[in-house]
Amino acid sequence: MAAQPRPIHAEQTSYLEGGGIYGWLTTIDHKRIAVLYGVTAVFFMALGGFEAMAVRTQLMYPNNHFLSAQTYNQFFTTHGLTMIFLVIMPLETGFFGNFLIPLQIGARDVAFPRLNALSYWIFLFGAITLNLGWLYGGLPNGGWFGYANLTERYYSPGPNIDFFDLGLLVLGVSSVMSALNFFVTIINMRAPGMTFFRMPLFIWSILVTVILILLAFPSLTVGLIFLFMDRYFDTHYYRVIAGATPILWQHLFWIFGHPEVYIMILPAFGLISEVIPVFSGKPLFGYPMMVYAIIAIAFLSYGVWGHHMFATGMGPVADMTFSVTSLLIAIPTGIKIFNWLFTVWGGRLRFTTAYLFALAFVIQFTIGGLSGMMHASPPIDLEQTDSYIIVAHFHYVLGLGALFAILAGFYFYWPKVTGRMLSETLGKWHFWLAVWSFNATFFPMHFLGELGMPRRIYTYAPHMGWDFWNKWETWNAYIIALSFIPLLLNIYWSLTNGERATEDPWDARTLEWSVPTPPPIYNFAEVPTVTARDAFWVAKYGSVEASGLTQSAPAIAPALVDVSKIHIPAPSLYPLLMGLGIFGMALGMLIGWYRVIFTAMALLVFSAIAMAFEYPNWGEENPHAVAESFLGLDSRKVGMWSFIGSETVFFACLISTYMVYKSRSLGVYDAGILNIPLTSFSTFVLLTSSLLMVLALAAFQRDDHKWGTIWLIGTALFGCIFLGGQVYEFGDFWLEHGMVFNANLFSQCFYTLVGFHGFHVFIGVVWLLVMAFAGIFGKLNAKRSLAVEICGLYWHFVDIVWVVIFVLVYLMRTVKGA
Amino acid sequence: MSESAVEHVTAPAHHAAAESHHPTAVQYLVVAGILTVLTVCEIGVYYIPALQSVLVPLLLILSAGKFYLVAAYYMHLHFDSRIFSGLFFFPLTLAALILISLTLLLGFLAHHPGP
Ligand code: HEM
Ligand SMILES: [Cu+2]
Repeated sequence: MAAQPRPIHAEQTSYLEGGGIYGWLTTIDHKRIAVLYGVTAVFFMALGGFEAMAVRTQLMYPNNHFLSAQTYNQFFTTHGLTMIFLVIMPLETGFFGNFLIPLQIGARDVAFPRLNALSYWIFLFGAITLNLGWLYGGLPNGGWFGYANLTERYYSPGPNIDFFDLGLLVLGVSSVMSALNFFVTIINMRAPGMTFFRMPLFIWSILVTVILILLAFPSLTVGLIFLFMDRYFDTHYYRVIAGATPILWQHLFWIFGHPEVYIMILPAFGLISEVIPVFSGKPLFGYPMMVYAIIAIAFLSYGVWGHHMFATGMGPVADMTFSVTSLLIAIPTGIKIFNWLFTVWGGRLRFTTAYLFALAFVIQFTIGGLSGMMHASPPIDLEQTDSYIIVAHFHYVLGLGALFAILAGFYFYWPKVTGRMLSETLGKWHFWLAVWSFNATFFPMHFLGELGMPRRIYTYAPHMGWDFWNKWETWNAYIIALSFIPLLLNIYWSLTNGERATEDPWDARTLEWSVPTPPPIYNFAEVPTVTARDAFWVAKYGSVEASGLTQSAPAIAPALVDVSKIHIPAPSLYPLLMGLGIFGMALGMLIGWYRVIFTAMALLVFSAIAMAFEYPNWGEENPHAVAESFLGLDSRKVGMWSFIGSETVFFACLISTYMVYKSRSLGVYDAGILNIPLTSFSTFVLLTSSLLMVLALAAFQRDDHKWGTIWLIGTALFGCIFLGGQVYEFGDFWLEHGMVFNANLFSQCFYTLVGFHGFHVFIGVVWLLVMAFAGIFGKLNAKRSLAVEICGLYWHFVDIVWVVIFVLVYLMRTVKGA
Repeated sequence: MSESAVEHVTAPAHHAAAESHHPTAVQYLVVAGILTVLTVCEIGVYYIPALQSVLVPLLLILSAGKFYLVAAYYMHLHFDSRIFSGLFFFPLTLAALILISLTLLLGFLAHHPGP
């Protein structure tokens, strides 16, 4: 419609060009953010690899003294944490997720580009927090699952566990933010025609993964908050002496922990499902079954966490339940494995490096799955748990599984990301060295486990029958390290001398291969319209089943659009500053400097406000965006609802803990102290505030901004009255009855639960006041009523949580807990 | 460019849809009335000694009703795209299951591990 249509190739510049260092620091482009994640993760892979080599060297001989027992504990713990949180997750969701989601669904970026940059910076600072022990006080040393009560200050006085605790909390914030962002993107930003059952399998796997992140991380967060309180405020969440049970930590951790292993393996499945069809020259076999299998796995993965806890003596009923659910997971997993095999079957195979890694994944992951089945049986697990057979299991699923899938994806997507080809010769060297060395290192761990070698011992006596395999594994571990040399050479060679990659070097099937290489910043000059699964293949050859021998259309039709008219959001420095603020707060907690905490908080608030002002028409319903969105919904509203979903699990964990601990609580304070008349009054206040909130929304929707503003102020006022009631209640308990925060299990659980709810009310009141000011200055109207609606959703959610708390905590106070 | 044109085409349709989807102020007042009555019942149940034996089920039913009313009307799930209901009720189910299993595992089952 505009000036002069020109072919896109005249205008395109790659996303990698321009901007300098500052451009990278302020980028909000999903492809650049992907590269940032990738580079960071590779750095941590080297660090985690170094720790692994040191651990293996220590185990090479019996009675070895290469590392002290203390250093050994720090190294194996940090190795595990690093590989899980700083390598596999950021490579799979951070790198591949960021790079591929918009390109595969035909979008120009993710739903919230600034939030995306913020996620990266928070991730980086979380990673640094986790590793601060290199500089001071020592690395985390309690195993990656940091079992209570060894993590209590009394047993672990140093800062090691604080780095673990705060580092994971910060990383969790980052993960949940990007999960929310990706979720909204996939749900709402697909190109026209990209229905759910036309989405590439990688998109499916990421969609399910981010749902797992949204609904699993809150449990870990709650566990970590309790740990934080125990260590900093001397509460008793994991202290037996106060009537508590350390098993609570194990539950909270593994409710997160088992979904977490699927957070690490589902994207790997997704990558494999992209690579295998392309090099088999066939569409993926049984696409719908593959989708259902992913969903089934994810669903089941919430009901199996107890299989990590058979040795805690949960009793036959619980053991049996968790065993059955765990064994059920084998069914959808088996479906996936057979479908990959059927995809390969009868295809025209091209044995590229990417393909080899993908095929090796299928075999090696199956081995890991099989040992998983073994220890899903409680009697067998009692034998195997905490032995080297567990180490073999998770290295097969993660190292020889997820990492191999990542390498397959790496060789596959490198040309698209960098615009250069890799050397296949060096690639094959890498592959064969890796297959040999990984298997030679980890397979014999099954034997060592059966020979009784425990996991996490820093040394062992000679003549246990363990000497040979340990020495063998260490030498082969060194070959693992060597196997990365061809990869590094390859990267260097490719970046300096590599052949330039075309748009579609592999003759691939999905949309990301239809854009120039490397992609321009806006991805698609013209947003594609999708008519089938494997959209790009269909565009090239006419149908999904086409053999690919005769091309029916040119690979890339020269589009006639003026790309200079494409709206690209401006870069921003505030995500980085906000990340810095969060880091400063964590740092301030660690060193106990309140001045640092408050300065950092100020920085956080300042940059958040400044970032809000970067949105030119904040809160305005953008007819463009809504009309272009796949479902015709506003992304911000979808985002708010997903956030509420995640919060639901957060509160469920807090409430469960309260319910369980109120009946285990020792000492004088119990629910008898609660003041029912006062809270009944507060309940009415909060309910009324919700009514005022909907009246405000209704007013703005009919463009009556005077009454809208008045009702908003009223809502905030009622919120303040509620908070006042709570302050009075807490003050009364504290000062009049002497019920301090950590008096006993009841007091700490009560204050934490009700306090967190109160904190949500407080945030809501601040938000309402901001909205009220906007109303006073005439910034709110019917077109911007969505801003009011989203604020209202949050407010009503807070109200709903109170409906539950009022009944479970207050009115049922006399009911003996479960 | 064509910004205003696009708005012109899509905005009226969208707004018409949005308006018919939102409850009126009167409906809101009715809901508020019911919520108040339910809350009064909750508190009443708590204070009436004769009802102590059925306290738990009664309170659960009453609060579930309140929960539903706020979600369906104030958060207008009742009128909105069903996707939003899914986004809320799926996590909610999961949260409920977590609550039930944790109280069972750390409470009842810890004392009655089974046969
Ligand atoms: C067929 C599916 C699977 C089953 C039945 C299964 C079963 C188990 C069981 C029962 C344990 C606990 C063993 C013990 O500590 O005594 C375990 C540990 C573990 N599994 Fe799996 N697993 C499966 C797949 C996976 C996958 C796909 C991953 C990751 C990608 C994974 C990662 C892990 C990890 C990291 C541990 C060790 C946790 C720790 O103690 O630190 N598993 N698995
Ligand atoms: Cu598990």
